[in-house]
Amino acid sequence: MDQLKHIGKSYTRSDAVNKVTGSAEYVDDIRLPRMLYAQCVRSPHAHAKILSVDTAAAWAMPGVRAVITGEEYPNRAGLYLEDRYFMAKAGDTAKYRGEAVAAVAAETPEIAQAACAAIRVEYEVLPAVTNAVEGMKADAPVIHPELGSYKVAPIFYPKPGTNISHHYVLRKGDFEVASFQADRVFTHKYYIPHVQHVPMEPHGCIARYDPDGKLTVWASCQSPYAVRQALSVAFGLPLHKIRVISQAVGGGFGAKAGTTLEGIVIPLARQCQGRPVKLVYSREDEFINAYVRQGMHATITTAMRADGKILGVHNEFIWDGGAYTEYGVNITKAGGWGSAGPYDIENVWTDSYCVYTNHPVGGPYRGFGMCEIHFAIEQNIDQIAHEMGLSEVEIRRINALCPGGHTGMGEKMDVAGYAECLEQVIRDIEYDVPSVQVSPTKIRAKGIAGGWKSPSMPTNAGSSAILRMNEDGTFFLMSSGQELGQGAATVLPQIAAEVLSVPPHMIAFVSGDTDHTPYEWQTVASRTTYCAGNACKLAAENLRDKLLDLAQIKMGAVKRDLELCDGYIVHKIYPERRIPMKDLALGITFDDGSGYGGPAIGVGTFTLENNINTDKKTGVATHHPAAFWTMGANGVEVEVDTETGHIKVLKMCSCFDAGKVINPALFCAQSEGAMVQALGTALFEELKLKDGKVLNPSFVDYKIPTADDMPELIPKFVEYAEPTGPYGARGAGEPLMVPGAPAIANAVFNAIGVRFTKMPITPEDVLNALKP
Amino acid sequence: MKNFLYHKPTTLSEALSLRARYGQSAVLLAGGSDVVIQLREHLIAPEAVIDIKGIAELTGVVWDEHNLWIGAKTTMRELAEHPEVLRAYPFLADAASRVGSKQLRNRATCVGNIVNASPLCDTGTPLYALDAVVVTNAREIPICEFITFVRRTSLAADEIVTGIRVPHQNCKGEFTKISRRSEVDLSTVCATVLQAGDSYRLSFGAVAPTPLRLRETEALLNGKPLTAARIEQAAISARAEVKPISDIRASLEYRLDMVELITRRSLTNLMNGGSEA
Repeated sequence: MDQLKHIGKSYTRSDAVNKVTGSAEYVDDIRLPRMLYAQCVRSPHAHAKILSVDTAAAWAMPGVRAVITGEEYPNRAGLYLEDRYFMAKAGDTAKYRGEAVAAVAAETPEIAQAACAAIRVEYEVLPAVTNAVEGMKADAPVIHPELGSYKVAPIFYPKPGTNISHHYVLRKGDFEVASFQADRVFTHKYYIPHVQHVPMEPHGCIARYDPDGKLTVWASCQSPYAVRQALSVAFGLPLHKIRVISQAVGGGFGAKAGTTLEGIVIPLARQCQGRPVKLVYSREDEFINAYVRQGMHATITTAMRADGKILGVHNEFIWDGGAYTEYGVNITKAGGWGSAGPYDIENVWTDSYCVYTNHPVGGPYRGFGMCEIHFAIEQNIDQIAHEMGLSEVEIRRINALCPGGHTGMGEKMDVAGYAECLEQVIRDIEYDVPSVQVSPTKIRAKGIAGGWKSPSMPTNAGSSAILRMNEDGTFFLMSSGQELGQGAATVLPQIAAEVLSVPPHMIAFVSGDTDHTPYEWQTVASRTTYCAGNACKLAAENLRDKLLDLAQIKMGAVKRDLELCDGYIVHKIYPERRIPMKDLALGITFDDGSGYGGPAIGVGTFTLENNINTDKKTGVATHHPAAFWTMGANGVEVEVDTETGHIKVLKMCSCFDAGKVINPALFCAQSEGAMVQALGTALFEELKLKDGKVLNPSFVDYKIPTADDMPELIPKFVEYAEPTGPYGARGAGEPLMVPGAPAIANAVFNAIGVRFTKMPITPEDVLNALKP
Repeated sequence: MKNFLYHKPTTLSEALSLRARYGQSAVLLAGGSDVVIQLREHLIAPEAVIDIKGIAELTGVVWDEHNLWIGAKTTMRELAEHPEVLRAYPFLADAASRVGSKQLRNRATCVGNIVNASPLCDTGTPLYALDAVVVTNAREIPICEFITFVRRTSLAADEIVTGIRVPHQNCKGEFTKISRRSEVDLSTVCATVLQAGDSYRLSFGAVAPTPLRLRETEALLNGKPLTAARIEQAAISARAEVKPISDIRASLEYRLDMVELITRRSLTNLMNGGSEA
């Protein structure tokens, strides 16, 4: 490959100026003429039959323009499993504490709130399921009695008559034989509680119905096309009558991947035609009524050979999916896909269950199950090493998935940088050098952990991009790969810039409008640089091809001898023969005045070829079900105060194989953010649930790290090109978070000799464990 | 949120007449860091809000011949950065600098922290340990008698706290805050432990309905030299003297452990000559 001009360069974020000056426009900033404000009535019970909803008093209030109940929802909707109306219906049940049962649109938020208070709902309280393991039992109350009739994507297997909405199965090799051959067999259990994404910007939505039946939705969302699809199903609207606009998004982390409050606002807007209706979640709503990361119970049994080789693993993952698992079923599947970790294990038996509970709705969260399972996998490895007298490093070296090895699902890996990442963090954290002790009551130690992740997306997930050239040689790159803070608006133009050989600042990035920017399945799964990046690259190549077609006429040269270079089309052999690219923006004009090959526009579409589902019965891959696997490791150093129980993370080192890093500064920022987010879950974060009630829906009692909690962070990467990625890139945003929490837990063990199998590890847990 | 009338008087007498007019149905506003939350969470629904920020006579920290005076409008930041406070009562400055976030400390007032009467108010324990006096337009009230219960004070509906008076004294010691996170957090347990001559003062927050002076433990220590054995005795005594509860932030047991630990750590520091005033 020729020398790269723009790939691998740390260009400044294209969205930085507007964001730091406060001028980026978020949904809550949008004030439309004649706008109405929505508020919801929410169930105060974890599980209750709705006997009646009386809205008469609300209707009678001055300033109230619309009142809706569950009657407005003809169809269930959902991404993979259509299991939810956007509002509970009378006669049916409210399935979590906080579920919407009615909503009001009024002239002011205060009137809407007062009207909601006037709505009378009669409930019959039902026994609730507040533990996923209990929820799997035969005598548990069934939360979705009609599960058998729900429409479901064919790769998911609900168990009608139970609370199990998906049972993922992986049977590679024969675990029984492996455990028979093993010298030792270990079983360990772990629990990961619910956490919330806490994006800076809470969810917001404005919907307006025009009299001609066109619905426009302004939503703070990661995936405008997925929202459009869900609304189309839920309300029976054709797609060309729905326009979803997603402007600046103030962080998503998965919480804004699905469709949540949009479904509440639309029927209100329908009743108030021509008048936009706005709903913005409060922080409390964000904790309870957006999405949460599912809780998970893990049991891992490992068959070990005396020399440290893992002969087989047997995993049971039980996910607390909450009231609706339209999205959660796929996290359960992803957990199964990744269940062997970045290790080459011949015999893998995994059961991963998605279980309905009367908890807040579980949804995608950075890592998509990987942070949860690796909290188990990576502590399990350390525990086994200790019990067998091996080093934590050696056991990982022995079992690391290397090029030519096989994943838990049986895919043959041609590229796998795990082992090298592991060696890098071991060097950076100086794992072989014991921590320097500074106080007898503050014990320091180091820990390591690895991790991996693949996109768990439909095998046919599509991306597209359009590249328009302007008369002056600048460009518009149009894609619906959304800028969520992860850098899409900088990285995608950089990819197009490389193809076109122009500086990235000459390419304006346009996204987030289903009427104008082309189809993108979703901005999730660490797939945007890879999938949307491929589409953008193809669009640029398409445009380049068209420009060269025109250039060979204009320059009287053969296309194969022409190339784009720094804004010019240049003859490779006679470089002095060149024309500015911009001269071809509107085609070429002949001497007789006639034009040809008019406005320059490139189109790129990307669907990964031969991305094939696993075997339905065994879950084993015959080809590649995953687009790519991103692997890496963390090394950390902690200090445990044995008197107060406080854990301070002093240092975190990360190294991941990102294939090709398009923008190193943005990669490192992602890496740092991921480490600190992992630190938060390891030490602070937990949605405290009691009888289905969230006890800490605010930052007073749900703590995330502050700048003060930031350890020294060392983000690194290695680059083993992804064969199908743009310039070899693979996704990294989520995988970067995966090893952080188990690395901290492993370091804490190394400091005080106590194994914590539950997150977060609180001062109180530490102190209790240290008591004689 | 219910509508309310907003008043911003410029003199104390004007504020007092508003206070007299509205009685219990008005709320006083200084920094607003507690009032606004209470409004938002519908814990209060006043008819009127009386903003005292316009009253010049309530401004500032004054160090005179006999007293430290903390005017009702003094922010946490002013208190934390005042040179005389830093010199004479560094533990008080420390407590003020550990409240909430920097943004909040620019708004929140020390008097507001006391009037709000949270059991875990960070500036409560140093002021309890200093035997501070709450001064209103009408009278002076020892701080221990001013806060009567969780969010309750002996302030009358027609009264306004004009400031807090701390009589000059020679003492040394330290403030400790145990919280889940070191910045922007509420205290799980907070405490001030002081030595003044041969007497000791221990006050703890978040271990009872109000901040607490541990008089029995103080009696155990007063008049005697500090020894490792006596410190152990005091730690056990302190543990017995507090009455914490379990809540979402910590269990009763953890709070007791922290009371014991703080007592031991702070007294040991005093014994070793640390925390010099």
